[in-house]
Amino acid sequence: MSTPVTIVDDSSLSRKLIIKALPPDWNVEVTQASNGVEALDACRAGKAHVMFLDLTMPVMDGYEVLEHLKREGLNSFVIVVSADIQPKAQERVRSMGAIAFLKKPVSTEQVAKVLKDYGIL
Amino acid sequence: MSIAPLTTDQSDALQEVVNIAMGQAGDRLARTLDVFVELSVPRIRLVHVSEIVKTVRAMVNDREAITAVRQSFYDHLRGEAIVLFGASGCLDLAVLMGYATDLDALGEQELLLDVGNILIGACISGIGAQLQADISFYPPSIMAEYASLDRVLVPENLAWEYSLLVEVNFTLENSNFKSHLLILMAEEGIESLRESLERLMAAV
Amino acid sequence: MDRPTPSPELLGFIVDRVSVGVFVVDRDMNVVLWNRFMETNSGRSAAEVVGHNLFESFPELPVTWLQRKITNVFVIKNFSFTSWEQRPYLFHFRHNRPVTGGIDAMYQNCTFLPMKDADDEVAYVCITLFDVTDTSITQRMLRSALKSLAEASNRDGLTGIHNRRYLEELVNKEFSRAQRYGSMMSLIMLDIDHFKRVNDVHGHLAGDEVLRNTAKRLRECLRDVDTFARYGGEEFAVVLPETPLEGALIVAERLCHAMGSNPITFGDLALPVTISLGVSQWVPGIPCYEELIRRADTALYQSKANGRNRVTIYRE
Repeated sequence: MSTPVTIVDDSSLSRKLIIKALPPDWNVEVTQASNGVEALDACRAGKAHVMFLDLTMPVMDGYEVLEHLKREGLNSFVIVVSADIQPKAQERVRSMGAIAFLKKPVSTEQVAKVLKDYGIL
Repeated sequence: MSIAPLTTDQSDALQEVVNIAMGQAGDRLARTLDVFVELSVPRIRLVHVSEIVKTVRAMVNDREAITAVRQSFYDHLRGEAIVLFGASGCLDLAVLMGYATDLDALGEQELLLDVGNILIGACISGIGAQLQADISFYPPSIMAEYASLDRVLVPENLAWEYSLLVEVNFTLENSNFKSHLLILMAEEGIESLRESLERLMAAV
Repeated sequence: MDRPTPSPELLGFIVDRVSVGVFVVDRDMNVVLWNRFMETNSGRSAAEVVGHNLFESFPELPVTWLQRKITNVFVIKNFSFTSWEQRPYLFHFRHNRPVTGGIDAMYQNCTFLPMKDADDEVAYVCITLFDVTDTSITQRMLRSALKSLAEASNRDGLTGIHNRRYLEELVNKEFSRAQRYGSMMSLIMLDIDHFKRVNDVHGHLAGDEVLRNTAKRLRECLRDVDTFARYGGEEFAVVLPETPLEGALIVAERLCHAMGSNPITFGDLALPVTISLGVSQWVPGIPCYEELIRRADTALYQSKANGRNRVTIYRE
């Protein structure tokens, strides 16, 4: 069975780079979202067992998405993928429920490691 | 010389590349200075030479006399970067950078050149690394000291018509220090940037 | 097509012999490379320096600052620079202008280059040091020439004292200061009596000598803070900052006496020269500096009218 994965980023290049970095042996069904609102919609529709989430986006940013997920009790393994890699940003998203923080640009090895650590792969 | 604006895909790619570069620059600065560095989301646009002063004025506090450091970069990407410093907060920086706190005028110049060089270098090399473009730098120089913005950027003295402008603001946590980074790439520079962006997108 | 690569020997030769200081340090600030330029100028051979901590070998270096500067290149992975204009030199080296240079050490521009390893980490920092002594001397000469040019444009050609343009600038400045801070300031205007007669009877050369000699004698009676200028023709002016009217009066009397007591000699001639003076001071309510000058002038003409060779204070 394939895993529903949503990639959330306002940049199409960035979404492509993340898709390219997904482990080739991982059977996934990818949904793309270009802001937080679309991401939450995908999640409510059950399309985001795993979510790759950018922080800086128009309409609704990544921090707000994390807040909404918590408030609505939506379950998703959220992996934050961000250009803002300062320790404080990392602490903040982890405290808000993200399972990992990956620095852009992401590599397949990094993604695979996180997925294995959480038994997803 | 007229210049074709970047395509939507090119702008999107550039925005992403610049975001990542600025994130890395912020991180490096934070590690160097051991304080949290806040930086704005980079704004990128094509400006005509006649709009440049107005555009920059929108970024900075108009009343304040500014000090500006400029630096050229060349090789695969070509352009100039300018860092505008507000009058306050330099002392905070002096401490963080290992300078004496009783700086004379020359000491202050040296400090600002140093900080300008770090900001510019970190951002530009981050962009270069992602685009696989080798970049070298000329030494930075002081462009203006405690001058009004009109004297820093005089449109008549600028020999380009259109330039790509990247703006980012840097602030340090618990400090008055504020700076604005401008990266300017004029006509010729835009074309080589465009090629680099196309190469990057083709590789994805 | 492959380009032929220069051999390591050739590259080593160039690095060693180039007329630029080149040295390399690792993360622990140990010197890894020290070229001939550095050897010759520091008097320390590569054998002495390589493998040792840079700051232990050269304790006179500005440790805190330089260590920070190099560390930043390791962390930020980017170029860094120093310029002689802010920091004349890193190392205290002798320069090649011992006779004509007029400076104490070789002026230097430095570039700090990150040298990255395969993992994109900075393994070494390479520092290149350029001798810019000649450039700096030229620059300094240029600046001092500009300064004397500016100075010359403030001087009167005949007497060597300040000219009217400079005086008006200064009166204006002192006037603004007085307005702002209520500080005291006085002005003396003075004129050589019957100067036209000297020119007519003894010729212009004699007249010039009278002007020169008067300027010299009066200058000697004044303080350094006073500004003395030739206002035009045979008229002179003195600006006395921080001086009340009573003080200015004493100075004016002294000037008057300095001229009247001894004649000016010109060749075989002894020319008796006297001056007439007018004094005014800044008081609240004077609208502009020109008014201050006008008042001193009015007093000066009073002195002329009352028989010359005397001082008059301006009264409303």
